[in-house]
Amino acid sequence: MLIVVCAQVVVVATWRLLSLVRADRIFSNASGVWVDTILWAIGIGWTSLVAMFVVVGLRADDPGLPLLMFVLVVGGAALGLLMIVMRGLLRRATTLRTEMETVI
Amino acid sequence: MSIVVRIDVELARRKMSVGEFAEKVGLTANVAVLKNGRAKAVRLSTLEAMCRVLGCQPGDLLEWVDD
Repeated sequence: MLIVVCAQVVVVATWRLLSLVRADRIFSNASGVWVDTILWAIGIGWTSLVAMFVVVGLRADDPGLPLLMFVLVVGGAALGLLMIVMRGLLRRATTLRTEMETVI
Repeated sequence: MSIVVRIDVELARRKMSVGEFAEKVGLTANVAVLKNGRAKAVRLSTLEAMCRVLGCQPGDLLEWVDD
């Protein structure tokens, strides 16, 4: 349930970021806020996924469901790490753009 | 900023407006930065274009102000 809410937050934040791209305001502070929102949502969703994985794994009879959940956990971790890299890139690009705006 | 870009004298000498100057130099996006004196850097290519349009030397356009 929490994971569904987190997914919706990620979708909304991504849509807001796309609006900023269209308005050519992506290299501003507003975009940083939305990227942080995405990162927090992914983090919270992933943590609850890990908790569910531990619970399911401890009381499982067959390895099917825990294996599937493990794949999801690894996938979620990869996504989160990718978003961290993207956030760093966006911050660097914003700094560079702000600096370049004072160059004639 | 301690280095000031002074184009007013040269513009007056050539009787050119700032807008016209900016268009000839190719500076349309940053005219405000130039006018308000908020420029923190000048590309050499821009400086070259400015000198060519105004027919002067870089030393005529840049001035060091000790503040």
